[in-house]
Amino acid sequence: MSPAAGRPVAVHQFLPALNPHDATGTHTLKLREVLQQAGWRSEIFAEAVHDDLAAEAYKHWTYPEHAAEGDVAVYQFTTSSAVAPFLAERGLPIILDFHNFTSPQLFAGWEPGNVTRAAQAEEDLALLAPEALLGLARSAYSERSLRRAGCRRTAVTPVLADYARVTAEPDARVAAELQARRGRDGGADILFVGRVVPSKAQHELVKALWTYRRLYDPAARLHLVGGTSSYAYSKSLNDFAEDLGLAGAVRLPGEVSDPALAAYYAQADVFLSLSVHEGFGVPLVEAMMAGLPIVARGEGAGAVSQTVGDAALVLESGDPAYVAAALHRVCTDDALRKTLADNGRRRAADLQGERVARRFVDAIAGVVGQP
Amino acid sequence: MSDAGHTGDEALEDPGAYVQQVMAEIAEEVRLRRASGDLPPRLERELDELFLAHSPIGVRGGDLSEAIRLVDAATFIDPVVPVESERAAGAVVKKGMRTMLLWYVGWVTHQMSQSASAVSRALHIVDDHLKELDLRIEAQRVPDAAVVEFPTSVGPGAWWVEPALAALAKAPGRVLHAAAGDGWMVRRIVDSGQDAYGIDPRAPVVDAAELGALDLRDEHIGEHLRAVAAAGLGGVVLSSTVEGMAGGERTHLLAAIGVKLAPGGTLVIHSVGRAAWEAADAPYGADLAPGHPLRPDTWCRLLEESGYTATARLGPDGSDYLITAVRSGLTPYDGREPRTT
Repeated sequence: MSPAAGRPVAVHQFLPALNPHDATGTHTLKLREVLQQAGWRSEIFAEAVHDDLAAEAYKHWTYPEHAAEGDVAVYQFTTSSAVAPFLAERGLPIILDFHNFTSPQLFAGWEPGNVTRAAQAEEDLALLAPEALLGLARSAYSERSLRRAGCRRTAVTPVLADYARVTAEPDARVAAELQARRGRDGGADILFVGRVVPSKAQHELVKALWTYRRLYDPAARLHLVGGTSSYAYSKSLNDFAEDLGLAGAVRLPGEVSDPALAAYYAQADVFLSLSVHEGFGVPLVEAMMAGLPIVARGEGAGAVSQTVGDAALVLESGDPAYVAAALHRVCTDDALRKTLADNGRRRAADLQGERVARRFVDAIAGVVGQP
Repeated sequence: MSDAGHTGDEALEDPGAYVQQVMAEIAEEVRLRRASGDLPPRLERELDELFLAHSPIGVRGGDLSEAIRLVDAATFIDPVVPVESERAAGAVVKKGMRTMLLWYVGWVTHQMSQSASAVSRALHIVDDHLKELDLRIEAQRVPDAAVVEFPTSVGPGAWWVEPALAALAKAPGRVLHAAAGDGWMVRRIVDSGQDAYGIDPRAPVVDAAELGALDLRDEHIGEHLRAVAAAGLGGVVLSSTVEGMAGGERTHLLAAIGVKLAPGGTLVIHSVGRAAWEAADAPYGADLAPGHPLRPDTWCRLLEESGYTATARLGPDGSDYLITAVRSGLTPYDGREPRTT
């Protein structure tokens, strides 16, 4: 196909759901800006569109009304969706923008619905990958998944995120509460940001906290910021913490506003991740932006070690004894904190801004031609 | 704030090296903590078990009987809904609605309860059938080999210890001793300047050991290797471990070691020979074991087929032998996990 005469090629984006305050939603909106600034026409088509973003996107089934010769589809692959077979049936040239998805095994026993959905996502990937012009992955780890699924040409391009929210003015009330608790009880504040789901392994964080309190810091607290899509896991986590006598020390504030999130990053002593699956890990970059030292599980955790580079103490496993010792070291060694924070800010700068936008434009232009 | 005993100069001069140094110090700290008894391995396992106790049955490993018990408990569907209310007259309204609808709801729930009972009954039949099959399979099961120790082959004075230490001298990383007992060999390896730790499936033996700064854990070799990172070991010592293994268990063990041993790593196997195994004064565990010792040449051949350069050495009286094998650096880890059970 050749572009319609006189009109620039359109590089449209398709995705399962466009939501505000969501990594994929933010990425999609920012990528549209990048594509348009580069000179491509670009619209967003989604299976579901949040009311707050209704003016930003079309429903995917209305695409035929907007279609033109030479169109290219960038599919934001996050989970299974009716959009995948829709694109396959239309025979559009596709670029897979792959955010990875949680493997079905990690939901097994917890959420049967999610197991089915994740298995369907694997089928969607197998359907689209072999025919895709290009696969864009958030990390070398995700790039391997694309290759395994049959993608012949791939590139690594970090997520386009709104990291400024981390360094914005913190919510004064949340900051005051955190300060008051620390002033009253002492102890370190350990932070993790991410959905409360089995693959993020918040129960391993609770085990680590229990061990850390037992060996080093009896007043330490753990803040698990993020909503949940697994009631069963969330309940087990709460019951587990309660049984360990940590009901007051493990705090689950749920999803929080951007200023509140900034307050958590500003007040925490260390960011701890023992997740067993990360396609990229936006909160890791946020922690680096905030100058927060990171302790993270590297082995068997997906892209974590690739994202953090030299900006974290990367542990081989989530063994509570090792995690506790690493937390203690980070919380008591000023030179180490400074090293990790400096490395983190430098690493975070590499993962955002104009350079990242340029990588998207170059990769896409490499397969569809310059706009 | 700093109490880690560092001035910060090291970090400023070479941040990368400093972080590496910190990681090594953390590993040492953990080893000392474990050795001091501050955090026994059993405690960590109890944490895992406690979380599993709060998890859904599917996560706990699928105990069918417990699942059926829950099905039984949920089989009866009560049509008599509660009518309590926090609002004035709310209970009266609810009670009136319940009375009006009970004939209808009761008819529906009765059928649902009957359907659920039929499903539950079918599950009980399946459960009974599976239990019977389990019993039959159990009678024919090949057990994992237990540790079988021959007193003359164990201890720091045994003839094979010095050659084993010499073979391990260039091990490119941490050395694991399986069937470590009270840690006698681990201590020798550590004293020779290598980093080493031990595992042993006999919990009472490990519990009774005087650990000092030793890192010993009561774990089975197969389970332990599953948790080790690929290419994470510089050496593996197997003593009193392989003699009684059946073929399948031995194959799985070698496959697992092949993945976990770094290229250039050393595998040391000490085994008694067939005559000692079948002698009248052999430990009773030898009689109960599913397998029997291999000849030294057989070990060498097996290991060479798996990418090792192996040599065998007979003991002074010919009753036992030592195999030392170096994993070739030319066949690096291929990224696949072993198919261990």
